Amino acid sequence: MSNTFKVRVNGQHELTVDPSEGSSLLEAMEAAGLETRYHCRDGFCGACRTQVKTGTIAYINEPLAIVRPGDCLACCCVPTSDLDIDH
Amino acid sequence: MSYSTFNKNQINPLQEPMFFGNSVNVARYDQQKHSVFEKLIEKQISFFWRPEEVDVSRDRVDFQNLTESEKHIFISNLKYQTLLDSVQGRSPNIALLPIVSIPELETWIETWSFFETIHSRSYTHILRNLFTDPSQVFEDIVINEEIQKRANDISKYYDDLIFYTQLWQTHGEGEIEVDGEVHNVTMRELKKKLFLCINSVNALEAIRFYVSFACTFAFAERDLMEGNSKIIRLIARDENLHLVSTQNILNLWQYGKDDPEMKEIAEELRDEALAIFMKAVEQEKEWAHYLFQHGSMIGLNEEILCQYVEYIANMRMEAIGFDAPFKQRNNPLPWMNKYLVSDNVQVAPQEAEITSYLVGQIDSSVSASDLGDFEL
Repeated sequence: MSNTFKVRVNGQHELTVDPSEGSSLLEAMEAAGLETRYHCRDGFCGACRTQVKTGTIAYINEPLAIVRPGDCLACCCVPTSDLDIDH
Repeated sequence: MSYSTFNKNQINPLQEPMFFGNSVNVARYDQQKHSVFEKLIEKQISFFWRPEEVDVSRDRVDFQNLTESEKHIFISNLKYQTLLDSVQGRSPNIALLPIVSIPELETWIETWSFFETIHSRSYTHILRNLFTDPSQVFEDIVINEEIQKRANDISKYYDDLIFYTQLWQTHGEGEIEVDGEVHNVTMRELKKKLFLCINSVNALEAIRFYVSFACTFAFAERDLMEGNSKIIRLIARDENLHLVSTQNILNLWQYGKDDPEMKEIAEELRDEALAIFMKAVEQEKEWAHYLFQHGSMIGLNEEILCQYVEYIANMRMEAIGFDAPFKQRNNPLPWMNKYLVSDNVQVAPQEAEITSYLVGQIDSSVSASDLGDFEL
């Protein structure tokens, strides 16, 4: 069964993300037409670092870049609950 | 505390701090205190490339058709990058290997520095193609004032750490007089010098390359100097990985996940670390000014480049626990990203080391059921 989650970005945009579709949080933001920050798209550079204010995520690929508490790397994760993020 | 190339004491590397513990004896990677460095080694090795694989022959024709101001921009950037990689190809080894205490980090430092030497070799490859005799370009690196200003700030923290480590290794802790000057060598002082050195290297890997990268990719956007651009993409991918290692070291210290004294030092020297980063930002903006003094190039000028430096500095500073100091939150050069995507790094499929192939090789897992339909 697939679940969809609501993702609120920068307190103004609201997206609906279906993690079972296989796209990352970064791709979901891009699909919604938001301007995103990224370089490697492979979890090692950390350019897509995003602050998770509420909610939980899971990594599709374990990131190499440092992820500080309260942050996630949007290029390699999917939401596992509704999210409120700053990107 | 003289250095031994094979420490005969029985030590448990899982209990050692990253630096200034017991020196490493057995190079073993079956267990790791900080597994991130082992993963970085694997990733970096999977990125292996040779400058000669990239055909730069068309660049010579392109170069001859550039305006004088564009030639100045192109060559100055190559000089600056040659300086950066000259320093980085040796300094992590000389400064950090004598004091490192865990095998995975020791090998990461060697791997990291080795890749910087590939970068240095690639600049020779590019310049040899552009000039029959590139000596004048190389010789100017130690004469050019603008480059010298940067060289001084890049090397001084390394040099300071190396000198104090040498004093400590030959005399131990205490007051040591050298050429009439007294140096107070204590472990605390050594660790402070290490902390500042890693912050300086972090700033180098984080932003010092990006003004040059932006110019290179701005040429590529006009279908100019594309061989050079292919090489710089490979370099940019490596530099991103190097940056991750210094960010990891700084965060491990800050969060008290390594040497507890380094956590104290990180708090004590926070302002100095911030100043190192901000000075690097200022120097990069001055570099942009120097590059465009004779005129700008299509798609790029000093103002946009300075905005990009601020944009990228914000990202890099947040990664090591500082607040973003600049207002620039939007990417003023959106086309830069496509050159920095890891999987877009490709020279020619038949000869290039494409990440996904090699990473796939390392990660491949085949179960018996995958071969279920296979018959002889």
